[in-house]
Amino acid sequence: MTTGSLDRDTRLFVYEHFLAQGRPPTIDEVAAGLSIDAAEVEVSFGRLEESHVLVFAPGTRNIWMANPLSAFPTPFRVETPLGSYWGSCIWDAFGIVAMLGGTGVVLTSCADCGEEMTLRVKDRALDSVEGVAHFAVPARNWWDDIGYT
Amino acid sequence: MLAFRSEAHVDRWCSARRVPRGASFSLEQAWQLGRAWYADKLSPDWRRASPAQAEAVFASIGLVGDFWRLA
Repeated sequence: MTTGSLDRDTRLFVYEHFLAQGRPPTIDEVAAGLSIDAAEVEVSFGRLEESHVLVFAPGTRNIWMANPLSAFPTPFRVETPLGSYWGSCIWDAFGIVAMLGGTGVVLTSCADCGEEMTLRVKDRALDSVEGVAHFAVPARNWWDDIGYT
Repeated sequence: MLAFRSEAHVDRWCSARRVPRGASFSLEQAWQLGRAWYADKLSPDWRRASPAQAEAVFASIGLVGDFWRLA
């Protein structure tokens, strides 16, 4: 198996598992799923981290983000026909809806006042809703600290 | 990237946290961004966008200017 195909298979397995189970797989689960050694998965994880495909909890090989999916609860809950997930931010929350066919609901709240915001998307069209999105960090600096953008 | 009820709420949030104002845009643009960025994420052929490709995506939904430059 080439490096490219291993990383592709690892990536696809991570997403399939994440969507089916509602949480990302461990290294051992990826290894078992792909019938390869855990050491190969660890190296593949390293490459996928380097190329900003996967984000790990600091100091671990526990997947934190397989964008747009977040392993940990966030202020962006997403309900889709396939299941409910957490998005890392409003961009990713909408990304989950888009990735899973274009119909779903984003449940969030105004970061300032806390008022609930329910954002409905049906057949790839967002229902008219008041509100704005705000990026605090310029694009070129997003990966300086991807947990804060 | 956070959601707010209005621009006034963005101003208040930034002021309270002493965070410089970044870039704000409509939730429709945020949806278009999510769609353009992630619709093909489960494809076996998915590839991470290059900086130039990413800037083209931003520009296609009206997100232009120095804030959105990656290169």
